[in-house]
Amino acid sequence: MDSKEATPKRRELISSQLEKLLNLVRKEPTHLNYWNAHKRIQKLDLDSLNVPAEKRIRVALLSSFTIDPLGIYVDIESRLAQLHPEIYVAPFNQYQQEILDKNSRLYAFKPDVIILAVQADVLLNENFYSEFVKLSDVEQPQTEIINRLQAILSSLTSRTDALVLVNNFIVPSFTPFGILDNKTDSGFRKFFYELNERLAELYRKSSQVYVVDLEGVASKHGKARCLDPKLYYRGSFLFSESFLPVIADEYMGYIKALKNLTRKCIVLDLDNVLWGGIIGEDGIEGIELGNDSPGNAYKDFQRALLSYYNRGILLAINSKNNPEDAIKAINEHPHMLLREKHFAAIRINWQNKVQNMIELAKEINIGLDSMVFVDDNPREREQMKQSLPQVLVVDLPSSPFLYRHSLENLNDFNVLALTEEDKKRGEMYRARKKREELRESVSSLEDFLKSLEIKVVIKHADDLGLPRIVRMVNKTNQFNLTTRRYTDVEIGKMKEAEDKFGIYCLQVSDKLGDEGIVGVAIVRKEPKTWTLDSFLLSCRVIGRKVETAFLAKIVADAKEQGVSTLVGEYIPTQKNAPVKNFYSSHGFEELAQKGNLYRWKLDLTKHTVNMPEWMEVKNE
Amino acid sequence: MSSSADGKLKDILAKVLLIDESMISDEMSRKSVKEWDSMAHLMLVSEIESAFEVTMNDDDIMEIQTVADIRKTLKKLGITT
Repeated sequence: MDSKEATPKRRELISSQLEKLLNLVRKEPTHLNYWNAHKRIQKLDLDSLNVPAEKRIRVALLSSFTIDPLGIYVDIESRLAQLHPEIYVAPFNQYQQEILDKNSRLYAFKPDVIILAVQADVLLNENFYSEFVKLSDVEQPQTEIINRLQAILSSLTSRTDALVLVNNFIVPSFTPFGILDNKTDSGFRKFFYELNERLAELYRKSSQVYVVDLEGVASKHGKARCLDPKLYYRGSFLFSESFLPVIADEYMGYIKALKNLTRKCIVLDLDNVLWGGIIGEDGIEGIELGNDSPGNAYKDFQRALLSYYNRGILLAINSKNNPEDAIKAINEHPHMLLREKHFAAIRINWQNKVQNMIELAKEINIGLDSMVFVDDNPREREQMKQSLPQVLVVDLPSSPFLYRHSLENLNDFNVLALTEEDKKRGEMYRARKKREELRESVSSLEDFLKSLEIKVVIKHADDLGLPRIVRMVNKTNQFNLTTRRYTDVEIGKMKEAEDKFGIYCLQVSDKLGDEGIVGVAIVRKEPKTWTLDSFLLSCRVIGRKVETAFLAKIVADAKEQGVSTLVGEYIPTQKNAPVKNFYSSHGFEELAQKGNLYRWKLDLTKHTVNMPEWMEVKNE
Repeated sequence: MSSSADGKLKDILAKVLLIDESMISDEMSRKSVKEWDSMAHLMLVSEIESAFEVTMNDDDIMEIQTVADIRKTLKKLGITT
């Protein structure tokens, strides 16, 4: 037997060894245990685990100081998030050489994420700190730092498509001006605040370079605790033991967003979560919610939830109560900030909460791995953790005074770009509920579709829609003909090459609401043949025939350009079986299959695809 | 010899150098233990310093070659292991 080939038994053994080491840090997250677990994990035969690509992540760390310990934390934190990281730490203070040399180990490593951590000190003149008070022009050293960073970063981004995370600068607590720092024209702290603002401005629009707010994270942790002088002077370690997990968590926010480990929905218990007390016993007048303690803590918690709702995080209820009592309190209590309309789905009953959770996920149509569960009862939490390990269960503190803080500390709702659709998501789900009610009241599907007064807008991708398009390309599984994933950099390049590629997007609205961009198609263009490289639709709009309208528009465009053949491609996956007959049902003829690539063609000189007649189509 | 101080030291050595506590001997040295590189050395020193609430002298840190040397340095700081 080939000794290299991993048997299932061997894989199982290595998985369980890995799990055991991770349990060590789960139980006792000390620096010593992180070090130990990381080093031991590196010795395991991880290659034999056969990890799928979407769970792998390659992270490179480049720095002007000793950054190896951060590598340990990013490694372990990624593993705790069910990822399989590989970490490359560039040699001490070699970040410039690694970036400028195209044959460096950095590029050979092929990173997905590059963490570039440079201290202001090394970018400034050696005498900067001591001579600052005498400087007549403080803008010049600022410009110098910005220019140097920009030069390094532009050579980096020209050589790699990796996500680049560059930190801003910690504003020093000390200033030689003392209490007069903001009375002088060129204060020492002001120098750093402005520097950070200029750096943020430089990359505000970039989809590849993200400025990590090290200053903010350091303030939150306490600047005096961020640096351990002994470690700094002896070994050039910039981050203290206590700060490492905090800054690693900040970086993980980006890594989780890149790997689509984004949570989308917060599922809430009611009693002692949204208000104090038990509605079934205390009644609407008896529950604690208002402007006095402790009711104000619950109100404040709702305020934090509402701010998440307004940026696109869905809310749902999973509570053991009499539904009439609870809904009455939600709709009528004068201090409730969250009302029935804010919840995408509601389960208030006496059923097991695990069962409720499964039903909520199904109703909202998102994965359990997108859900967060908030409950004050430790037993309910434990049962949820055990039964549905995909759900993120918040370890809610026992005091309501700490609820808001614990919610704000979750770093699991990040996306790399916030779209218009995100902000409206809560309303969209509400419209969907109404749409389903309407469907039940109308006799035929066609009547139902007509009654919706569907309007579609089909256009070429523009910069505004690009983040949403990239997200859809990378997340859509069901109605996705080829499931080809492209990064934003790749999509951006296709968009530039207009003669070779066409990127279409589909926006749908109806009388109940605007869905925003819900369809993407990528066409590979040759003079006589166009090929549908990607064709995908959000599951939100499946069943409204908008896909036919989308295809019809591409067919019409191709004809107008004198193209004679439109080829459709289909690559089967575990999830996209429902669209296997998409091309044949639109009159395409089957071509020879190549491996797992199925192809169909439509002869445009003889055939066409018609717009559904009741749909209003706008071209832009 | 304080057994708890000895226990603390052994726990740190075992975790930093990835060895079983029962295998630790005074003769173990930077040369004989593969994992005991310069990064591990700094890690050892820093963990020992915080566990025993002491600060070692930089020259002593450089001179530490064996487990016995660590014990000797700690003894200078009033810690018997």
